[in-house]
Amino acid sequence: MRLHQTKRQDAAIPTASMADIAFLLIIFFMVTVTFEVDKAQLTLPESFIRLEVPKKSAYVSVTEDGTIRVSSGDEISVVVPGPEDVVSFAASVVATDPQKVFVIKADTNTRYQLVDRVIDGLKQAKVQTIFLLSAAEAMDSESGAGGGAGR
Amino acid sequence: MIFSGRKKRVSDEIPTASMADIAFLLIIYFMVTTTFAATRGLDWALPKDEDNPPLVEKEEAVLIEIQPAGNLVVDGQPMQLDEILEYLEPKLERNPMKPVIIRPHADAPYGRMVDVFDELRRGPEKGVEVKNISIPTQREIDAFWF
Repeated sequence: MRLHQTKRQDAAIPTASMADIAFLLIIFFMVTVTFEVDKAQLTLPESFIRLEVPKKSAYVSVTEDGTIRVSSGDEISVVVPGPEDVVSFAASVVATDPQKVFVIKADTNTRYQLVDRVIDGLKQAKVQTIFLLSAAEAMDSESGAGGGAGR
Repeated sequence: MIFSGRKKRVSDEIPTASMADIAFLLIIYFMVTTTFAATRGLDWALPKDEDNPPLVEKEEAVLIEIQPAGNLVVDGQPMQLDEILEYLEPKLERNPMKPVIIRPHADAPYGRMVDVFDELRRGPEKGVEVKNISIPTQREIDAFWF
């Protein structure tokens, strides 16, 4: 009759460690997240070659309407009046870190002239490596019929 | 006497069952509010600042012009994007360092330049390696062309 004691066994699932697991996940995501320094919404050009951009790279974004934003990679990007201002910005960044990678985030439909002046500014500031930010190529546009449409 | 007997049955544990709910709620909140930053692109090593950059004869280089509408003219002949590597292959066999110049028109869309640059960079996949790609800016063209 002693066997009746098994009925006293608690049927609850131990959930105390569940919170630990969840907080561990939160911390993991917080550590691995890379903050987007430039919030400009634009349609990136598409390419097949897509290498990982180094973290903390400086950004120059050019939207279709010609707005240029710059960021040294640590803070949110700010609008600059024109492509001429990219030179002084880039020169100040290169002065602190000559190896700094610059990322050009330009809309696929931007007139090339504007991008050309931005690149020229970076070249004048003796920037060594540029990344042209791109989206993954959609498979149906492989024949290269025209500018990319997807995001 | 009946009260003291009942009080002893009150659990002395902190209720932690809802803790997980709170934590997962936070995870979901952060996942929804995170905007994924595009972190991939085409790398482009700019020429180092040298005292004497290698002199390139204009005639030696292959010139890829991008017209305002986005169509391509390679060495004066209209061409499709996927024909360029085919055209370059015999030239690069003779001279692997043959310079290829991409010259987009001021009104051409930027995306088209990326298409052409990407196509040339993908050469090794098709057995044609274009080592010497240059995209001069308008200022450089004005200063050094002719």
